[in-house]
Amino acid sequence: MLKVIDLDKSYNRQKQSLKAVSFTAKPGEVTAIIGPSGAGKTTILRSVNQLIKDDAGQILLDDEDIRQANKSDLRRIRHHIGMIFQNYNLIGPLTALENVLHGRLGAKSTFAGMLGLYSATEKNEAAKLLQDVGLADFALQRCDQLSGGQQQRVGIARALMQHPKMILCDEPIASLDPKSTKLVMDILRELAQSKQLIILINLHQLDIAQTYADHIVGINQGTIVFEGPERALTPEKLQAIYRQPETKAVTADAN
Amino acid sequence: MKTVKQAPISLPPKLSLLTRPRRILRTVLGGLTLITLYALLTLNTAGLKISSAMSSLGNNLNIMFLHPGVGQDTWSLLLRALVTSISLGLLTTILGALFAFFIAMGAARNLAPAWLANTIKAAMAFIRAIPTILWVLIYSVVMGLGASAAVVGLTFHSIAYLVKAYSESIEATPAETIEALKASGVRFWPIVFQAILPSIIPALLSWTFIRFEINFANAVAVGAAAGANDIGYYLFMASGFYFNFHEVGLIVYLLLAVAVVLEIISIQLRGHYLKQN
Amino acid sequence: MPTKPTPQQFFRRRNRQLLIILLILIGIYWLSMVLVNFQTMSSLAQVPAGLIWLAKNFIPTQRSLSYLGAISFQLWRTLLVSIASTICAGLFSLFFAVLGAKPTAPAPYWRVIVRLGASLVRNIPVVAWSMILLFSFKQSDFTGFLALFFMTLGYLTRAFTETIEDLDPEKLNALRAVGATYLQCVFCGVLPEVATTLMSWLLYMIENNLRDATLVGILTGTGIGFLFNYYFKSFRYDAAGLIVLLIAVLVIALELTSTRIRKAIA
Repeated sequence: MLKVIDLDKSYNRQKQSLKAVSFTAKPGEVTAIIGPSGAGKTTILRSVNQLIKDDAGQILLDDEDIRQANKSDLRRIRHHIGMIFQNYNLIGPLTALENVLHGRLGAKSTFAGMLGLYSATEKNEAAKLLQDVGLADFALQRCDQLSGGQQQRVGIARALMQHPKMILCDEPIASLDPKSTKLVMDILRELAQSKQLIILINLHQLDIAQTYADHIVGINQGTIVFEGPERALTPEKLQAIYRQPETKAVTADAN
Repeated sequence: MKTVKQAPISLPPKLSLLTRPRRILRTVLGGLTLITLYALLTLNTAGLKISSAMSSLGNNLNIMFLHPGVGQDTWSLLLRALVTSISLGLLTTILGALFAFFIAMGAARNLAPAWLANTIKAAMAFIRAIPTILWVLIYSVVMGLGASAAVVGLTFHSIAYLVKAYSESIEATPAETIEALKASGVRFWPIVFQAILPSIIPALLSWTFIRFEINFANAVAVGAAAGANDIGYYLFMASGFYFNFHEVGLIVYLLLAVAVVLEIISIQLRGHYLKQN
Repeated sequence: MPTKPTPQQFFRRRNRQLLIILLILIGIYWLSMVLVNFQTMSSLAQVPAGLIWLAKNFIPTQRSLSYLGAISFQLWRTLLVSIASTICAGLFSLFFAVLGAKPTAPAPYWRVIVRLGASLVRNIPVVAWSMILLFSFKQSDFTGFLALFFMTLGYLTRAFTETIEDLDPEKLNALRAVGATYLQCVFCGVLPEVATTLMSWLLYMIENNLRDATLVGILTGTGIGFLFNYYFKSFRYDAAGLIVLLIAVLVIALELTSTRIRKAIA
């Protein structure tokens, strides 16, 4: 169970980008964070594994506060949080298999990880995961030669290699075509159920969120304006989530 | 997983991650490392004592950078020499660019017949392969020591360098653009000046500027050999003849100042170039 | 609000700009000519005569073949020194580049230190490096090696830093998110991404160093440059010509090999 309590973050003094953000995400469910661009979706997601340092609040993963963790604790916690990105962020010249094996780096000694010393068990597990996401034939191909949808599936396999409790997905389908989108989202939903993972996902596309998410967190200008099951999302609630700030509307008229 | 229906594949017993490009990369690196080790072990050090050499080097660097001075020359003399070096760089770059531009027309595969392009490219590769200093020395025999030999020698190398850069820029123009104009009966020079030139001017300018930086450094480097009375000559005399490291330090500072100015200009040019695109 | 120029005005303005630029260039050229004391026409007229002289005197003859042994030995030593200085400098440059590049710098002040250092080393001219080192390290191959080493160090540090900075920093974030340590990020993320580009730079610098080694050799009295200077000063032009020819052949051979290697590892 992931509990985020009263999270604050401001990048500069004038503007606070997260204001007392609180929500929960349960294992076995897909939790989607939705809202207009610039609302703070990415900031929330990246605070959860502390790629962005927030200012105040609590982030409890199975009752352990990530924000209090020291350097080595943080490394251990991150090892159990997979993350996939809009731009996949694979190491292009390396093979798909090696990119999946990178999922083990958090569990290895610095030295063994540096030199890429992986055991046969690890290699076989990586190959098995690639097979699970339908990429068995591409294991030894360079990642920059794969299509976007294939690269995102390698990203998922890399996250699974971490034996995660949770997978964070930062706009995972924003660069994908409809067919790959469906494939990737199907895999993510299936994983949540079969492995009882917490899947926390940032989405720009409302229709995808409504189709795939069990639990929805709506955010507007750094404040949570909705949290609840997908079916509770009424048109009024949607309007509150996607409401444009009034000052912006005025400038838009001026132009 | 329900999205994927595939018979389980049997994995090879040992997964080899050594793809061909990687094997070549490692072989080349390994080979170069071996050569390096061999070279270092067999290097002729002429009975050198590293510790005393190091302390002498440290001492000289200290004199150079912390106590610069004009030595037996004067400020005005050195500044005049610096201006001469900059002028040498400018002169050879402008001259080189002018010649290179027209030669590059013949070396671009999308403008000239293949045989001509290949011949010019091979000739330029040969000129480029011979170090600038050798061109300057060779011309100093023919023309006598002085600025002329330095200018001609430096220009020779500039032309060869710029022809390569320019012709590759010209070749980057899409073939369709040229075809379209040719098809509508436009002649050769109008095509060059109306279609090709406008689109590659930023690239030409940036290559020319890079070459100017190189030419300035080369002018300093060959100054000693050519006797063109430029800053390189004074640097050589101060360091190799009078062993006056105060003056060497001052000259190095002067050259660094020019380098900083050139760096700033180059950043400005690049900014301008990016804005245009 | 400025009014839009008519086409006539536009072309007139552009032609005027072109004319001004042309005049400025001619002005610069004329001024430089005066300052350097260079006569364009009479000097250019001498170029063909120079080439003919070159063809008459610099063509290696039967006699020059007797120098072939000494020349090949020095050429071989010079090639070794070029490679060794490039590889050694490359190793240090990689270390400094990782410290100084934005995505991998351990602390912001490292960026400033590395940048300033590399710029300083790079902009000290060859002549200064050669003479300073010659004074302390005497006339030996080692001096030539050091001079090339420092020049390469400055150059490659900048090139490597820029290569690493071209990398998308998000890729390193992905590895950090996995729980990778700093060194793991560098070795598993940065190095594989930049390996081929760095290799290209190394090959280019070997080629470049072979050319620069001639000048360094003339100044420090080592390697092929020394031999060239020796034959040249004693009017044995055919032998000097043989050296020029062999250097050109070696550089072109290296260039072709590098191109092939670059294609193979891409």
